[in-house]
Amino acid sequence: MTIITLSHGTAIILFCIGLYTIISKRNLFKTVIGLSLMESSVLLLIVAAGFVQGGRPPILPIEGIAVNPLPHAFTLTAIVIGASDLALALAFVIKLHQRYKTVDLDKIRGLRG
Amino acid sequence: MSKSCFLRIVTFLLCLALGWQFWKGILALEPTQIIIGPAAHYIESAAEETGATNIVAAILFDYRALDTLGEASVIYTSVCGIAMLFAKSKFKISSTGLSFIVKRGVSFIIPFLLLYAAGIVLMGHISPGGGFQGGAVFATATILFCIVYGSGFEAVMIKPKTKELIESSGALMFVLIGFVGLWTGAGFLANIAAGYPKGEVGRFLSGGSIPLLNIAVGMKVSAGLSTIFYSMIKLLEFEVTKHPGVKNK
Repeated sequence: MTIITLSHGTAIILFCIGLYTIISKRNLFKTVIGLSLMESSVLLLIVAAGFVQGGRPPILPIEGIAVNPLPHAFTLTAIVIGASDLALALAFVIKLHQRYKTVDLDKIRGLRG
Repeated sequence: MSKSCFLRIVTFLLCLALGWQFWKGILALEPTQIIIGPAAHYIESAAEETGATNIVAAILFDYRALDTLGEASVIYTSVCGIAMLFAKSKFKISSTGLSFIVKRGVSFIIPFLLLYAAGIVLMGHISPGGGFQGGAVFATATILFCIVYGSGFEAVMIKPKTKELIESSGALMFVLIGFVGLWTGAGFLANIAAGYPKGEVGRFLSGGSIPLLNIAVGMKVSAGLSTIFYSMIKLLEFEVTKHPGVKNK
């Protein structure tokens, strides 16, 4: 098992944990945490997909072969977008808590499931 | 077995099955041996086309600079949204911060932290780093200020209006640098073709407009992230001061 398969596996495990958190938890803060976990796993997958066997970092001068620099650039922008998304989602959760005095999704909807 | 427990088990099995399918897909992947497509071209000719040593910076601020502009506008929108959501909460009284020893220690660290952040931003085209990372380190410095010295001190030292000004001027600077390319007829956000000096590859003064764009993005990200933190901490302390230890609400 190479290190790259290991990072792919880590990304899959993180993704599944995030998905389970989003589906099963009713607490809005936990939902946001699950969203963040899924996002991190996708970023890890993208970076790992750009790896070339025996590759060096894409900074000149390169001795030998370089890894793919495109996923790095995409990930760099995606990290910042993810951080600002997370902040906006948390702001909405805080607003909901001010309005309803709870962060439980079922109580906000008026349902008990 | 209750209904919610049953649903939880079904969800768990669903996620497990999905993960197993993904894992089968990963095992079928073959390891990459060579780079094809646009990335190969970027690695081949980034040095003579942009003058930057860091190929990721060359992609971000030259080949795909329009993406970066869109991405920067996403941060701007999110900061505007958060500031708008928390606009009504007024800042009443601040925490006093941590103890004397922590304050002294942090006052020794802060200049080096700022120097480090400036280094990351300014050397973005020749070494790992750039506007996003350096801006995040700048924002960390202001957050450290806020935690250690109390948020009122931070609001006095770096006014929210100043942060707003820095962020807006960063965005404006990015667009104006792009308009230079439009003016010379080379296209929006063109780098060497728009007449920016390329310089000697690998030196500090090189890369055409890439260092300037790095500075613009650094201003934007640092001011934006610290505004987000400040808005949230303001709200938190406002709630604490509104009901100081009272549970009858």
